[in-house]
This record gives sequence, structure tokens and C-alpha cells, in this order.
Amino acid sequence: MSVSPAIIEISPWQLLLCLGFVLLAGGTSIYHRLGLGRDLFVGTIRTFAQLFLMGYVLKFVFDVQLSWLVLLMFTFMVGAAVYIIKGRVSEKSVPFLMPTFISMLLTYTLVTYVVTAVIVGAKPWWTPQYFIPLAGMIVGNSMTAISISLERLFSDLKNRRAEVEMRLALGADYREASQDILRDAVKAGMIPSINSLMAVGLVSLPGMMTGQILSGTDPLIAIRYQIVVMLMIVAGTSLGSLLVTGLVRRRCFSAGQQLIVR
Amino acid sequence: MCLVLDDVSFAYPGGAVILEGASLTISQGGYYLVRGPSGSGKSTLLRLLCRLEEPQSGRIVYQDTPVSEMEPARLRRTVAYVQQMPTLLKTPVRDNLLLPLQFKANSGLEPPDDGMLNRMLDSFLLDGVTLDAMADSLSVGQAQRICLIRSLLLRPEVLLMDEPTASLDAKSAQVVLDKAAELSRDGMTVVMISHSETTPEGVTDIIRINGRKLEFA
Repeated sequence: MSVSPAIIEISPWQLLLCLGFVLLAGGTSIYHRLGLGRDLFVGTIRTFAQLFLMGYVLKFVFDVQLSWLVLLMFTFMVGAAVYIIKGRVSEKSVPFLMPTFISMLLTYTLVTYVVTAVIVGAKPWWTPQYFIPLAGMIVGNSMTAISISLERLFSDLKNRRAEVEMRLALGADYREASQDILRDAVKAGMIPSINSLMAVGLVSLPGMMTGQILSGTDPLIAIRYQIVVMLMIVAGTSLGSLLVTGLVRRRCFSAGQQLIVR
Repeated sequence: MCLVLDDVSFAYPGGAVILEGASLTISQGGYYLVRGPSGSGKSTLLRLLCRLEEPQSGRIVYQDTPVSEMEPARLRRTVAYVQQMPTLLKTPVRDNLLLPLQFKANSGLEPPDDGMLNRMLDSFLLDGVTLDAMADSLSVGQAQRICLIRSLLLRPEVLLMDEPTASLDAKSAQVVLDKAAELSRDGMTVVMISHSETTPEGVTDIIRINGRKLEFA
């Protein structure tokens, strides 16, 4: 990767200068009585704390170069994503956390491995500088996709109960009775990442590419990475949504092929 | 004995108790009417018989085999259930009628040809409905009869019907009732929910749901 020697570093004082933006937003909140002052304050503190913490963790992981530590960090990221998904999905009667965690872990390990080992050619494949940011982007993006898919799966199974039970009553098994619903749920989860394929470069400049360019990377190299990332995210979201909704759907039916989501 | 409920109790999760220690014996080839106030559990009884619901206690036996030990798809093909609200896909009538044949459990059945399907439509006074008509263009009454034909194409041994005549005009309702009596005479067991005060011809027994128990009137 060609890097420009003239990377402009942001000093602690320059960073503190950014707080001026927060003060501006806080002033607006006070003037218009938006009541967002406290959230803005907490949000700013958390941004500093979380990102500094992540920076030091990443620096440590990059320095020690231990495969198990990289995979442990990846597992933690997937666990955090599952926790966020739990908060976003309103259905609580079907236990979906474990199948979601296992599906995400397996799918994203596979996709990230293909990208780092085969496409980027990192040696070893778990090189933290490549594996962690790439896996993080898949986890972050597909977390939204899986939340949408699961929410759609549960709501359709409830709203289209008569249709599902009509098929069950005619001799369908749970797969046959809910195949349209599964398809719609996976599709709903995939649409945002497909839309982003359409909009990238026209409507938005993706964060990763922007970050690479700011740190001095040749834009023509940065776009190649961005293309890999976009396609990797589409693969990750589709495989993840398909596997998660498939496994969770099974739990929406009893052994006696009865729809238990009400 | 065809279907036996033995000391069955059922309540919906977080809901009221519907049946408590209910027992009933339904004979082969009988034509049964189920009566009871709204919300007393008439539909639930039919759903229990085809195992769309699972009792909390007690057992339901079909031809000496507990339904919980039967493969669900085989049970439901044999004990066919026609829902109260007709549910059809937004596809042509033909596709709706042949839908069950797409399922693995029904793969051994010979698909009926258009001639047979048309004869079935005629026999239910649906001669104005073509096989290519879109199902979502049908009236509720027509859709209800299509659902009934679709279940009959599976050649079930027991037919469970949840108020099949509720949406039909008098003439069409009579066709369905005559058909139910004919099926019963031919050896099929028919269990039908009805709010009507009059008892259709051919009915062998009336089942009442009374105080969470089942009894013959």
C-alpha cells in the first residue's frame, strides 16, 4: 500500500478543539429547549472513552500478533452485535440468541477468512491489521440486516398465521409452510446492503475509503479495498441472514409442526 | 372408534382455560355438529384433533394411535381441517387446488386433471368459477368452497370444518351440507362447527362444549 509521507497528525489540543462542535450543538439544544444536553454530554464522553479504549486495545493486539487474541476479539465483537440485535427485535418468546451467535460467528469467520487469505493475501490470514477491521465491518453491517430479517420473520409469522396454518393443515412441514415468509425476511435484510452497492461513490463516500485516503493511501488503492469490503458485506449479510433466519425459524415451530409464535 | 379425546385439558398461553378434563369418542363415518357459545372452544377442539394445538394434559387418539405419536403431516392429510376464514394464495384457482400436492408428505398422490377439478367445482355450485380465475377475485363464499375442495382432494378419512356455511347463501350452504352428509354416508367422518339452530339432514350426533367439558346433546 503506498502511503504518503505527509500524514497530518491530530494533536490532543486539536482534538479538544473539536469540542467546539459539541458546544455548538449543546447551545442549540439549550436555545431551542430540545432537552438533548445530557445525551450530548454522555455521548461525547462515551465517544472519547470507547474510541480511545478501542485504539489502545487494537494497538496491543496489533503489537502482540497472537491468533487466539484476534479470534477472541472477533468473538467479543459478534457477542456485542448479538446483544444489540436482542434489543432491536421485539419478539421475546422464541430463544434466538444462541443460533444467531453461532451463525454469525461461523459465517463471518468464513467470509473474512476468504477476504484476508484469498483476496487480500494477508499472511497469516488472521493478521490483526486486516482481520479485525474487515470482520468488524461485516459484523457491524450485517447486525442491522439480521435485526431486520428477524423482526420481519417474527412479524410475518404472526400476521400471516392463517396462511402458515393452512399449509400445515394440508400436510406441509414447517419449512414448506413458511418458505415465502423466510424468503421475504432474508430479502428485507439484504435490501439495505444492495442499495448501498447502488449508491456508493455517487451518494456517499464510504467511511473506510475516506479513512484510507485521509491517512495517505492512493485513492485508486482505497477504492479497491472499498469494492472488496462492499462485496464482502453483501456476502456476509446474505449468508448471515439466511442462516440465522433458517435456524430461528425452526424454533418458531414445535416438534409437532405447530406454529408457536403468537 | 375413530377419534378419542381422553381427559384433555387445554389453555392458550397466558389465556383462559378452554377445556379441562374433557373426554369424547367420535365414531368412524359419523356426522357430528359442534355447538357452543362464542369463545367456548369449538375451533380449538378441531385444532386439537388435527394437532395444530397440543393439549397440556390428556391424550387424543386416532384409530388406536395417539396423535402425538403420528407424523404430523400424515395425521393432517388424514384428518383434514378447513379453517373458518378461507385462506387462498393470490394465484389462479388451479394452483390453489393443487397446492397440497407440492408438499413432500403428499407426493404419493396422483394430481387430478382439469376435468376432475372442473367436476369438483360443478358439484359445489362453482360452475361460474374457472380454474384460471385469480383466487383473490372470488367472493368469501366461493373461496370457502374452494378451500373445502382443496382438502377433499387429499382424500382424508376425517373432515373437520369450522363454520363452512357461515359466509354462504342459503343455496350454496345447502350444497355444502348435502355434500357433508354424502361424504359421511360414504364412510368419511365429518365434524362441523355450526351456529345454526337447525340440524342438517344426516347429522348423527351433536357435540356441546359446556363448562370446559364435551358432551353429546
